[in-house]
Amino acid sequence: MFYVILESTRSALISIFAHGLRSFLTTLGIVIGVASVIAVVSLTQGMSAFIGESFSSLGSNSLTIQSYTPIAEQMRGVRARLTPEDLELIERRGEGIASITPILYANRTSQVRYAAQTTFSQIMGTTYAYRDVSQSYVELGRFIAESDNLTRRRVTVIGEKVREDLGLPENPVNEYVELGGEWFKVIGLLETKGDIMGFSQDDIVLVPYSTMQSLQGNQARTDIQIQLSLSEEADVENVSRQLTALLRNAHDLSPNEDDDFVINTAEQLMETFDTVINMVTLVIGGIVSISLLVGGIGIMNIMLVSVTERTREIGICKAIGAKRHHILAQFLIEAMLLSLLGGLVGLALGFGLGSAISSSIESFPPANIPMWAIALALGFSGFVGVLFGILPAAKAANLDPIDALRYE
Amino acid sequence: MCPADGSSAAKDPGADTALIRMQDIRKHYEMGSQVVRALDGINVEIGRGDWVSFIGSSGSGKSTFLNILGCLDRPSGGEYFLNGVYVEELGPNQLAEIRNREIGFIFQSFNLLPRATALGNVMQPLVYRRISYRQRREMAMEALRRVRLDDRVDHLPNQLSGGQRQRVAIARALVTEPSILLADEPTGNLDSRTSAEIMQLFDQLHREGQTLILVTHEEDVAGLGDRVIELLDGKIIRDRRAGEPLH
Repeated sequence: MFYVILESTRSALISIFAHGLRSFLTTLGIVIGVASVIAVVSLTQGMSAFIGESFSSLGSNSLTIQSYTPIAEQMRGVRARLTPEDLELIERRGEGIASITPILYANRTSQVRYAAQTTFSQIMGTTYAYRDVSQSYVELGRFIAESDNLTRRRVTVIGEKVREDLGLPENPVNEYVELGGEWFKVIGLLETKGDIMGFSQDDIVLVPYSTMQSLQGNQARTDIQIQLSLSEEADVENVSRQLTALLRNAHDLSPNEDDDFVINTAEQLMETFDTVINMVTLVIGGIVSISLLVGGIGIMNIMLVSVTERTREIGICKAIGAKRHHILAQFLIEAMLLSLLGGLVGLALGFGLGSAISSSIESFPPANIPMWAIALALGFSGFVGVLFGILPAAKAANLDPIDALRYE
Repeated sequence: MCPADGSSAAKDPGADTALIRMQDIRKHYEMGSQVVRALDGINVEIGRGDWVSFIGSSGSGKSTFLNILGCLDRPSGGEYFLNGVYVEELGPNQLAEIRNREIGFIFQSFNLLPRATALGNVMQPLVYRRISYRQRREMAMEALRRVRLDDRVDHLPNQLSGGQRQRVAIARALVTEPSILLADEPTGNLDSRTSAEIMQLFDQLHREGQTLILVTHEEDVAGLGDRVIELLDGKIIRDRRAGEPLH
């Protein structure tokens, strides 16, 4: 068997290179197909790897709890809330929590002003624990302290983008900015975190939680967000299950009612992005693999022509002792090699294309080809060759030696 | 090599020494409602080391006979033993093996593989015998030496003259050391001088003990062998020693 394959490969290679241009044109469909698949996969996989890295900066073992009201409920004027009491409850009863912080978003205005410059940013009231939970550390100055919270001091920690937008000096500490009509002293500048999918993580203004509460007029029924980070040994699934039970109990939900809150993990968010990207890869890959099919049909077509052209040769080989499987193997291997060579050329071309695109578009992550894509592309092109080689090869193998010898 | 065992077997008397034994071989084709009897009851025995020429005009059944003799086709009826093997019972793959082992074909139009060199052409039948490349090369070189073409081994068929091409074809037929060399109008496409050269080569091979079967319509080509068999309308009409007067 090995001997037959070796000999067939030898004669197939001779035949492929004897018709260089024709072989190239025949396999062009495969080349283009594989090149497009590889280009698409390398781009999306590069993006996926990049997003994975970005998300690890969010704090991989942190949880966010926020209230959730289905739209149908909202129409009826019902609003679910997470309250400071929920926070207290979780602080007291939650297990596996390293640090926990409430977040209160500015509800009236998110306008920030410095001198004559105005910008809009995400203003959040939170506590000192936010630093650990979201892994946001100050580059200059200091973070919000517990005492700031207790005394409702009007101090703020800002992100790099806010500093830039407002035209604050390189070191903004001790400058004053206006938030919702009140003046706040800048006490710290956060380290730069960069973008995730075009959203800046540095467009952020932090103030003490209780200061924010007082700014909002100490409403009795505030709706807060709770962010917490887990201790080393805690399991995200277990903790979120326990928190769900706690909150459902606190909110008096009967078993047939849905949760009026959602618990998000950074991992979940990442998975969501990954799912989307994989979907895109799959869909585009699927569309492009149609061209592989077309390429395969091209190969079949040329192989059929080639069988007709070489009818006499086949007859000679049969007369001097070639059995069916000799002829079959020769044409099958020729089709497969043709397709596989196309796959290899396509692989190189696709990688070049992906790299060219990713480097020509700024802020696009570098292309990345996973091994499975290479294996798949080559495997698939080889498979296409065999699949579409079967018909011509069988036709050749089944030729009658007398008819084939007489063929002009 | 084959001359040794070929000649020793030829001297052994008795029916079993016959290399080829055909009994009542018939080949009928149906053309619409008409039945064409291409071969109609052929009885022939050919021994080892013989040089037999089959002669007949076109339509006499020569080609059909050649196809059956060369195991390219199977008869509609009758019995055919080749080297003791009952050929009719064999399938296509076994026939291919018989062709490879027992028969060396030489065609009128040479039938060389156009994209292979002279050496490649001679090596080709050995590919079907699972012989390593190096050994194939040696055997092919030896066969090309026998036909005195060892200075042209790397030429493609279209770079060779007609006589040289036919010698490549003969080398290809010899390389497998077949029981029979089966030549179909071997000089049909050659001029008279080259024809003489080829026939001289056949004569040399015959003297080395090779069994030769020629199919031709040329009386002077047929006359070079030991025995001439005349075909007409699918039947043997004459079986004579070469050199005997025709009428």
